Amino acid sequence: MSTAFPLPTNISPTTVANTASLLRIVAFGLISGAAIASRLFAVINFESIIHEFDPWFNYRATRVLAAKGFYEFWNWFDPTAWYPLGRVVGGTVYPGLMATSGVIYNFLHYFNLPVDIRNICVLLAPGFSALTAWATYMFTAEMKDPSAGLLAAAFIGIVPGYISRSVAGSYDNEAIAIFLLMITFYLWIKALKLGSALFGALAAIFYFYMVAAWGGYAFITNMIPVHALVLLIMGRFSGRLYVAYCSWYAIGTLSSMQVPFVGFQPVRTSEHMGALGVFGLLQIVAFASLVRSHVSSKQFQNLLAISVVTMGVLGAGAFVVMTYKGWIAPWTGRFYSLWDTGYAKKYIPIIASVSEHQPTAWPSFFMDLQLLIFLFPAGVVMCFRELRDEHVFVIIYAVVASYFAGVMVRLMLTLTPVVCVSAAVALSTLLDTYVEAREPDVPEERTEANGNSVADGKKTKKAGAATAGSQAGSSAAAAASSTISDFVSATKSNANSRQKGIWGADARLVIILNAIGMLVFFVFHCTWVTSNAYSSPSVVLASTNPDGSQHIIDDYREAYYWLRQNTPQDAVVMSWWDYGYQIAGMADRVTLVDNNTWNNTHIATVGKAMSSPEEVAYPILRKHDVDYILVIFGGLLGYSGDDINKFLWMVRIAQGVWPDEIQEPNYFTPQGEYRVDDRASETMRNSLMYKMSYYRFSELYGGGNAVDRVRNQQIPKVGPTLDYLEEAFTTENWIVRIYKVRKEDSLGRDLKTANAFAQGKKRKRGKPVSRRRAIV
Amino acid sequence: MQRLWSAISCVLLASAAAASSASIQSFENSAIVRTIDLGGSLVHVTTTFAVKALKEAVNVYTITLPEDEIFNTSWLEVKVKGNQQPLTITYSGAPVGSKSHNLDVNLEKPLETGATINLVLETVQTHATWPWPKQAAQDEDQSLKYETSLFVLSPYNTSVQRTKFKSSSPRILSYTTPEDVQAFTLENPVTKSGATVTYGPFNNVPSSVNSEFLEQYQQHVVLHYNYDYPVLEVLELKRAAEISHWGANLNIQDDIVLHNAGPQLKGHFSRLQHQTQSFYGRGAPHVLPLFTVQLPPGIRNTYYIDQIGNVSTSRLRAAPSVARGVKNTQNSVMELKPRYPIMGGWNYTYTLGWDAPLGDSGSYDSKTGKYLVSVPVMTEIPGAVVNNAEVSIILPEGATDVDYVAPFPALSNEISTHVTYLDTIGRPMVTFKYKNLTNKHAKPIYISYRVPISAHLRKPIAVTTVLLTLFTFAMVARRVDLTIHKTPTKKM
Repeated sequence: MSTAFPLPTNISPTTVANTASLLRIVAFGLISGAAIASRLFAVINFESIIHEFDPWFNYRATRVLAAKGFYEFWNWFDPTAWYPLGRVVGGTVYPGLMATSGVIYNFLHYFNLPVDIRNICVLLAPGFSALTAWATYMFTAEMKDPSAGLLAAAFIGIVPGYISRSVAGSYDNEAIAIFLLMITFYLWIKALKLGSALFGALAAIFYFYMVAAWGGYAFITNMIPVHALVLLIMGRFSGRLYVAYCSWYAIGTLSSMQVPFVGFQPVRTSEHMGALGVFGLLQIVAFASLVRSHVSSKQFQNLLAISVVTMGVLGAGAFVVMTYKGWIAPWTGRFYSLWDTGYAKKYIPIIASVSEHQPTAWPSFFMDLQLLIFLFPAGVVMCFRELRDEHVFVIIYAVVASYFAGVMVRLMLTLTPVVCVSAAVALSTLLDTYVEAREPDVPEERTEANGNSVADGKKTKKAGAATAGSQAGSSAAAAASSTISDFVSATKSNANSRQKGIWGADARLVIILNAIGMLVFFVFHCTWVTSNAYSSPSVVLASTNPDGSQHIIDDYREAYYWLRQNTPQDAVVMSWWDYGYQIAGMADRVTLVDNNTWNNTHIATVGKAMSSPEEVAYPILRKHDVDYILVIFGGLLGYSGDDINKFLWMVRIAQGVWPDEIQEPNYFTPQGEYRVDDRASETMRNSLMYKMSYYRFSELYGGGNAVDRVRNQQIPKVGPTLDYLEEAFTTENWIVRIYKVRKEDSLGRDLKTANAFAQGKKRKRGKPVSRRRAIV
Repeated sequence: MQRLWSAISCVLLASAAAASSASIQSFENSAIVRTIDLGGSLVHVTTTFAVKALKEAVNVYTITLPEDEIFNTSWLEVKVKGNQQPLTITYSGAPVGSKSHNLDVNLEKPLETGATINLVLETVQTHATWPWPKQAAQDEDQSLKYETSLFVLSPYNTSVQRTKFKSSSPRILSYTTPEDVQAFTLENPVTKSGATVTYGPFNNVPSSVNSEFLEQYQQHVVLHYNYDYPVLEVLELKRAAEISHWGANLNIQDDIVLHNAGPQLKGHFSRLQHQTQSFYGRGAPHVLPLFTVQLPPGIRNTYYIDQIGNVSTSRLRAAPSVARGVKNTQNSVMELKPRYPIMGGWNYTYTLGWDAPLGDSGSYDSKTGKYLVSVPVMTEIPGAVVNNAEVSIILPEGATDVDYVAPFPALSNEISTHVTYLDTIGRPMVTFKYKNLTNKHAKPIYISYRVPISAHLRKPIAVTTVLLTLFTFAMVARRVDLTIHKTPTKKM
């Protein structure tokens, strides 16, 4: 056997093993560093700030946890959210994220490291991304070998699909959930391989952590049973599977029920029934195999047929009856929308209105995964070659996650780990094949294609012979060279003769250089996407000055801070639900609705108030004690994520509850256009949202044309007037506008009349408006 | 350090000594001129006493301040005219029935009979003005009222006395015309010219610290004037100065609650109007869109944040560090723009902090083995009064023999322990509490302490010990086999 390039000799096997181990640790350290560093764009470009919407709630909850302790947090009733209903926060959150930060906070403070809780929250996601890289490494090492594991760790460390949810400041459940997902899967595979109850229990513990951390735990709840079921169907039932599954399910389910928000769901809702069913099935199969070992095969066949059919019918029947009776909750709307992408749009507009619940566009696969999306199928195919139990898992995971990622943008996140794993397997196999020094054996003599000396070739041949036989008598040099080869192709059996392979160094070089080139481009792509697309806090907007320096548009915080400093502590602020968490977190004021969209009617009430004329909206506002209304208006600056663009969703959601009063078509022009200029429909122009957005907007332009720069339409010169509200605050770039709801007129007039009187307008002759009730 | 005399209320409580009448008629005032600079939160009053001694070798001159004024006065200093060194003042009680308080000024050398001296009393009054009308719309002017007594009190006879009010703008809306002053002047008792209103001259005013004079002649005058700058109050200032020897760093952080004490905003804030006004350069006088503070030279890592993060609208022009002992010619200038313009009655809180080289403000005295560091009590915000201040100086861990010299006595001070980064026993922290600080109070506190070499090494030793313990534990844990049941190992 010959080698394509000279291999060092006279290295002892322990040296090789130690060097490899050291290299792995160094590589892993670098991967962790890269994973953390690439998530810090937001901190460097902006500041250490909590991003977007949901993280603000998590941050606020964490502050409560850090300041008051866990029991106070557990019993926290927040009267400032969902006014006047309030929210039982302790029972309606996944506390895993806050508890993690709280533990880190207390740990650091115990050692007198007074790190601000905000910085812990901001940097939690990058920190956990390093752990995710480690978990992915372990998982992939189980699939193939440590070198594939390192590749997978590097991929998951910098792939935009995961970075999008874990940049510094993106303090959301997903920040720690992906780590928990991967470590649970790794422990499950380990438990299954070893048939170990210890690893099964460990998997259950991390499953519990996952349940406590993210609603997406249902993915694990269904993935592991599906894997077990497929293994059963493939006829791979074994004691190992039984031990692993039962220990995971029993401990995992019981512990998951300790999370108040989950409660009895694991035994009462349809999402969890699969896991329970497989658990039951495993008992039956285990019992059947026990029976089989005691009775004859003919009897067993009959017994099996009858019992399986009976139990299947009974089980399915019980499930149907219990669902019908309401003991098992039917599927939730969010779940239906996973199967029918049009479902949400038709029945639950509130789910459809969230942009991350939209189906994924094709380009975003490339944007989030780039090169990996091409390697991914190859990796899955590689899994079929060996098809061990764990490979079955990856195949199922790949299929399921691909489907879900196609349905909902945010589920791209669950696809990303498996893409990294399979791509790493594929790429690592490719590199193994081409880095492997040994050349295939050919029956007849052939000349050396490369510059290897004959002596070298002979030596290596001898080495091969030595390993194949006994170790005694072979030279140290021979042993060393064979160890290196073995290390490079760890999964391959150490057969001496290889029928297939690559000849020559040039062929290797071409492929390897190509692969490295692709990886380099991948790194550039990831960095670019991360810095450009995923590192904006969205609370703070950036633009550039004419001289190229960065200009920060900080209108959100301006408005929130104004609310915080200059309004009464108990003032009720109404806004569309997107801004609820931010108002609670930054302005510390009472909100009507927020991003925890649990009460559709309450949201629809806000939608109705926003889309109704002032006279109709006013009683709603007064009934809800609203003091201030906050709207987002991007027309001056061209900021497209404003409330006028979200307005149709408000209308739709309100229409879902009050179909008689709010009708979506009324907000369009007769031609079916959505306009805000002088051709806007009457209903549109009278709606509270329109009035609040454009109040005094055209005056800003003096006599010139007032142009809404988001919709590129001219706003009428005579702007809307407000009778029941008054402008309280507008930010520098007019992005946030806050209105104060007037109190009832002290003379008992309606505010419109009172206003007209104050402006000195003559009362129109006509039917006198009687405020008094007729005396009976 | 008695020359600067603050916290008068405390002293008042401490001693209600009998009225002093011993020095009566040992002096005569040939002239008293009081000049009042009408401001917003701060009113500077300068009173010049031209004094003539009537007796031999007298060296204590008594100044009398009315009670309502003394509670407003947060800073006071007496100098001989043309002399930089202030004179020593002692409180000598309240004359019975006069609702006033006496301060004894110790002249440096006794005066001969007939000798004259010019004494200058400088005071700063806080919270002495109030906005009138109490509300102002966004496009309206701001006007304030100030009230004081007509006559300057003195236990001595005064030949001629006058009071000048200087306003920053000539628009003085109204002023009181005093009555029943024919005994002292035959002319118009009050004249206005430009931005100045003058009361007097009043001739031959007798000793005024007695109830007959006060009841018969003393009266209050009220001025109503336009003021073109926002009236600012710092409701609360918390300054923490942390001295780090390892980093050769002095970190100062101010937590400030700022309040616009001018007229309340009538109606609501209109951004349109605000933008129009600032576009035409006619910003309303009671609005604070931005302000500047002077920070020490050579500062680094300056941060301007509030409760929800960095305030991106600030600008810093940092001046290079100046060696100790060299006269500082240039300060770093920080231009602070709050998140929103602060209208009348609005609040704003922020935190401003910076690092400065410790060498610029500290030194080591090798003779005594003590370190000496100066920490300013406050950084002046132009025109603002600080209602409550708490200054904490955090010394290095293990500092002993803590000693300090404050420029003026604090309401209270205490030494406590502050535990922060990697501390084992915590650091000594000296906390001073003050009320009603003005720009005159921006003076340094000198603090001296000793740090033994063992205290310097405490931190690295602690960290090393913890890490070594961890490594040792890891080494042991890796070599202990806790397996109960040995299974034949097999390679996966």
